[in-house]
Amino acid sequence: MALTIVTRCALAATAAVLLAAPLYGCSQTSNNQQTGAGTSAPQRASGNVVKIGVDLPLSGGDASDGQPTANGVKLAVIEANKRHLIPGFTVEANIIDDAVNGVHSPTQGVKNIQSFASDPAVVGVVGPFNSNVAKAEIPLSNSLGIALVSASTTNPDLTKGPLAAQLRGANANAVTYFRVCATDDIQGPAGADHAAQVRKLRRAYVLDDNETYGRGVADQWAAQFTKDGGTVLGHDHITKGQQDFHALLTRAGSQHPDVVFYGGTTSTGGGLVRKQMADSGLGDIAYFGADGIRNDEFLRVAGAAANNSYGTVAAVNADKIPAAKEFLRSYEAQFKQPVGSYSASGYVAAMTIIDSIGAVVKANEGKMPTRAEVLDQLRGGQTFKSIIGDFAFDKNGDTTNKIISIYGAKDGAWVFLTQKNYAR
Amino acid sequence: MHQFLQQLINGIALGGVYALIALGYTMVYGIIELINFAHGDVYTLGTYFSLTILALIPLSTITSGPELALVAVAVILLAALLCGIVGVLIERLAYRRLRNAPRLAPLITAIGVSLILENIMQIWKGTSEVPFPQFLPDRWHTVAGVRFDDRSLLVVGISLFFMIALNLFVFRTRLGAAMRATAQDRDAAQLMGINVNSTIAWTFFIGSALAGVAGFVSGLYYGTTFFLNGYQAGLKAFTAAVLGGIGNITGAMLGGFVIGIVEAMTSQYISDQWTSVVVFSILILILVFRPSGLLGEQAPEKV
Repeated sequence: MALTIVTRCALAATAAVLLAAPLYGCSQTSNNQQTGAGTSAPQRASGNVVKIGVDLPLSGGDASDGQPTANGVKLAVIEANKRHLIPGFTVEANIIDDAVNGVHSPTQGVKNIQSFASDPAVVGVVGPFNSNVAKAEIPLSNSLGIALVSASTTNPDLTKGPLAAQLRGANANAVTYFRVCATDDIQGPAGADHAAQVRKLRRAYVLDDNETYGRGVADQWAAQFTKDGGTVLGHDHITKGQQDFHALLTRAGSQHPDVVFYGGTTSTGGGLVRKQMADSGLGDIAYFGADGIRNDEFLRVAGAAANNSYGTVAAVNADKIPAAKEFLRSYEAQFKQPVGSYSASGYVAAMTIIDSIGAVVKANEGKMPTRAEVLDQLRGGQTFKSIIGDFAFDKNGDTTNKIISIYGAKDGAWVFLTQKNYAR
Repeated sequence: MHQFLQQLINGIALGGVYALIALGYTMVYGIIELINFAHGDVYTLGTYFSLTILALIPLSTITSGPELALVAVAVILLAALLCGIVGVLIERLAYRRLRNAPRLAPLITAIGVSLILENIMQIWKGTSEVPFPQFLPDRWHTVAGVRFDDRSLLVVGISLFFMIALNLFVFRTRLGAAMRATAQDRDAAQLMGINVNSTIAWTFFIGSALAGVAGFVSGLYYGTTFFLNGYQAGLKAFTAAVLGGIGNITGAMLGGFVIGIVEAMTSQYISDQWTSVVVFSILILILVFRPSGLLGEQAPEKV
């Protein structure tokens, strides 16, 4: 049973290869993979079909976020066609999954944008759902001159400040990325305020998944929690694919926190952490997250341990808005399920593109719109009258409508607690 | 000190799972010098089999302790049997014809088999976390300020039981002797009248069955599984096997527990993010400085 020299080398080599490779890709479910046409100049397509690309995570742990958002987009497209919002044209949605092995993937997101770009009929894109995917897509979509309107990405650096300018690359002043949700510099503090002031929590242990969104929102939450008089006992990052959190939580528990904050999504570990808190003697304390854990997947993974968990959403609760009644009714009639966190936002994101296409078509007397024309229209600063309230895109592409809603998990459901408008 | 003991329990429970998986790596390596990279996925398959069997049992109607124990034993044995069969099939279909091929061929085949198994599980249960039925009551014990529940005890108990059983089997039975003989010298064993093919098949059966047991145990411990879990767990168990001395059964057990404890302690005293770095650094150091592992004998090279 001794090792021969050959085996020893093979051992070392294989180990090295396998360690260097991240989770190697398996078959990607329902990913429409065409390589893009690259940087073709925006041309005017022929025909009477305009397409909206939709890039969302639709499989695995992220599906309970992505699917309801995609449904919102589908509803917008159905309505646009029914009400002839774009005279002379039919709207179609080209929906592509950006999840690989059940988790949102920046690489897949970029492939999806290339795929949209190769179809001249696609004049705008709704998506992505996750900030790290957006971070990978913005440089490409910006150089291609194709508008991305996201329903849910909340990392502030995607639109604001020098980091956002860097992402846009050569066209630092040309905004091509828009979003209809608030950002984590509001969402994080709103959650922290709720923890410190409403729940009266004082000792927090902060975890995050080390992604663009998770790490960002955890930092924002922790900073505000300290400002509110609370103590942050420690801040650890978990790693991709991690399954065992017992040791980490045992260490956190030794400092006797009364709340654990998790920055990240359910698919990157948010549900498992909550589930294993019970194993490590932390089952009775509160668990806070942001919109990444406010989904059905969290309730499913955490199971009975989900109680006493809180999540925020960087959008209004559609139930509370009279203007959204009709939307909610047709959503439930169409999809036979309740809306997700960002269903209404997905609908509104698609509507901003549809409205812009409609305006362009009217101005051009029925000619096929180009991507550049749609982009210009979105940048115009006009007010959109939407089911989640009236708003406009500011010079960075952010919505002027900044509402955070807060939810608590109780007996297998997310219960609405409160919401607040942070627009200045 | 209290914190150290608490982490020791975490480490031992985790190590129990690694040790069970490492046994399969080490047995297969010992007998045909193949690193069976599909082994980690057989382990996850064990969790999938267990939860599928558990779903067929009307668990809510079973409440008494002895009945629950009976259910647990039945599920373990069935999951082990099914994984064992999968192991034999893998050997028969993918590895047997390559037994005398250059070493790289079966190694790449093993990675291919691993991908096939992962995709089968992906198609079977999807790409989300799959919940594992929690059929045991939640009971906690506190000894000297250290808190642990029935599940950690069961994980360690079941792992130790199967390790002892395996040791007895390998060193006390005729088939065990045949395995050791085949491992030492395949041709001579054949000349002595040992059926080498069936001995190797049995080795795969037992190694994979232990992975099935590990799959059940980890499902019980974590309450959830994921189709890619076997990848990381397999690599760590492989590290455990190399640490203990690949081919050495006692070494694999020791290595499993050492890796589990190292992980827990790294998380406590360094940082949780560094656990994989520390574990795989150990792998590299062992390969460089003591390739025969902690318990591996310094036998002369076979020609």
